[in-house]
Amino acid sequence: MTITIALPSKGRMKEEAAAIFERAGLPIAAVGSDRSYRGRVEGTDDIEIAFLSASEIARELGSGSVDFGVTGEDLIREELADFENRVEIVARLGFGRADVVVAVPEIWLDVDTMADLGDVAADFRSRHGRRLQIATKYWRLTQQHFSGSHGIQLYRIVESLGATEGAPAAGQADIIVDITSTGSTLKANHLKILSDGVILKSQACLVRARKPGHEDNPRVTGIVDAIRAAL
Amino acid sequence: MPLINMPEFSGRLLDDFAARGAARIDTPVIQPAAPFLDMAGEDLRRRIFLTESETGESLCLRPEFTIPVCLRHIETVTGTPRRYCYLGEVFRQRRDGDNEFYQAGIEDLGETDIAAADARAITDAVQILENLLPGRRLAVRLGDQSVFEAVVRALGLPAGWQKRLIQSFGNTAHLKQLLQRLASPQAVAGLSAETAALVRQDEAALIAQIDRTMQETGYSTNASRSPREIAARLKEKLALAETRLDGSALLLLGEFLSLELPLTEAPAALAGFADAAGLSLGAALEGFEERVAALAGLGMDVSKITYRAAFGRPLDYYTGLVFEVTRAGDDAVLAGGGRFDRLLTLLGAREDIPAVGFSLWLDRIEQARAR
Repeated sequence: MTITIALPSKGRMKEEAAAIFERAGLPIAAVGSDRSYRGRVEGTDDIEIAFLSASEIARELGSGSVDFGVTGEDLIREELADFENRVEIVARLGFGRADVVVAVPEIWLDVDTMADLGDVAADFRSRHGRRLQIATKYWRLTQQHFSGSHGIQLYRIVESLGATEGAPAAGQADIIVDITSTGSTLKANHLKILSDGVILKSQACLVRARKPGHEDNPRVTGIVDAIRAAL
Repeated sequence: MPLINMPEFSGRLLDDFAARGAARIDTPVIQPAAPFLDMAGEDLRRRIFLTESETGESLCLRPEFTIPVCLRHIETVTGTPRRYCYLGEVFRQRRDGDNEFYQAGIEDLGETDIAAADARAITDAVQILENLLPGRRLAVRLGDQSVFEAVVRALGLPAGWQKRLIQSFGNTAHLKQLLQRLASPQAVAGLSAETAALVRQDEAALIAQIDRTMQETGYSTNASRSPREIAARLKEKLALAETRLDGSALLLLGEFLSLELPLTEAPAALAGFADAAGLSLGAALEGFEERVAALAGLGMDVSKITYRAAFGRPLDYYTGLVFEVTRAGDDAVLAGGGRFDRLLTLLGAREDIPAVGFSLWLDRIEQARAR
């Protein structure tokens, strides 16, 4: 059985993933040119590498069309309903660190916690004729945090696929849920993170799709052990 | 009935509705999604089937009937009171059970005799179920948002705390969290010393400062919350943080929420609770008593209904009665209903329209008939 591993196709994520595989004794080589989206592990012929975008990797893991993938925990938790039953987070790799956070305009001096936000959301419709709007690409994480953990029901999600931090000042939404690593973009847009507004501390993970063929497959356990040992 | 997947008792059910003076209304299966998400919250998104029109409008398969019926009522500008009934398929993503199933029900819009309309909704639901499930024992459970609100108001908490508690009624876990916070207030964090000083003194200066910052940061033109609103809530928050519900009030609230007893005994128990606690529940208690009397007047065996003080639905358009009917000893809700006086204005009606209704889960009724 050939094992397929999906790795990030560009940027820092690609380099850092390659470095860890190298340290684990699984050096990655592109097939054909450097820009090819297919690769292999040198010295083996039963491992295939697919270079994909990070969110594609999460989806491919969910559908089981790849065996392993390296992608952000935020994307796994966001893209896959019921993710724990479909994939296993084998190892947290220590790079690609970023937090998914709830951020509100700095000038909302009265809002420091989710409970404050709950109060504001409860009143929002009677004051402004609409629900509180949250710009985000993280529908699922937002719902889990707001409804599941904090009992806040009354808000609307406005889909935002880029430049989310600008949405409140532009009037497209009131607050945001977004990913941030240093917080400097939030600050530049006069947003602040709520004190209990960190939804997830994310980083790049090696993730395995839960597939029946994996049990007792020495290749699979070999990859898991090698990566864990390289950390 | 040519449709073979409709419950075989559909015809009888429609006759029963007609005999109860309800006019049948149909609504399109494909509905704009916004009203459902606006009313029920984003949580619903995972549970409905969403799609988009060619022009980008968000659409969904009808997840329930109450909102479409109310929208249709507003659209057609027919007067009130009106009694509508419906029977048709609804679509929801469920872990258990089919994703499409039949519901039927009655919505009573604009009846101003609240107690009579409430009693009629419960009676209709119970009698219809008794007709469909002869010989089975049914259990009816009743709750009342307005009684809870009256208790919270009578406890003399600041308005902000009242709102929080009322909002969370029906969400037991969240309510418990709130009560814990209320028992042990925490200092307000995250305020600069300068702002904290301003809040304690001069509201006008605070508003001016917020306004200035908004101008400088480019927030003023599109800001949803005005400097005045932020300043007012900041003051309110500081006051709330200093509030501590004294031990006896917390005990009273806990005692109230644990009430569960036959409806026959509930008015006296509530009156006794109010007297012992020195609270005045006023109109809420009167309304409760009138409803019990109206139920008895319609021939219902009130001793078979259970009143549970903590039973509610955490949606802001429910205003009074909530009830559900199951088979005795079984959890599956066969009929659920309640009063939603705030829904029609939220959906755009120009005047207040009191409303009460219930829906029947025909798939569960079918299963119950087979057993």
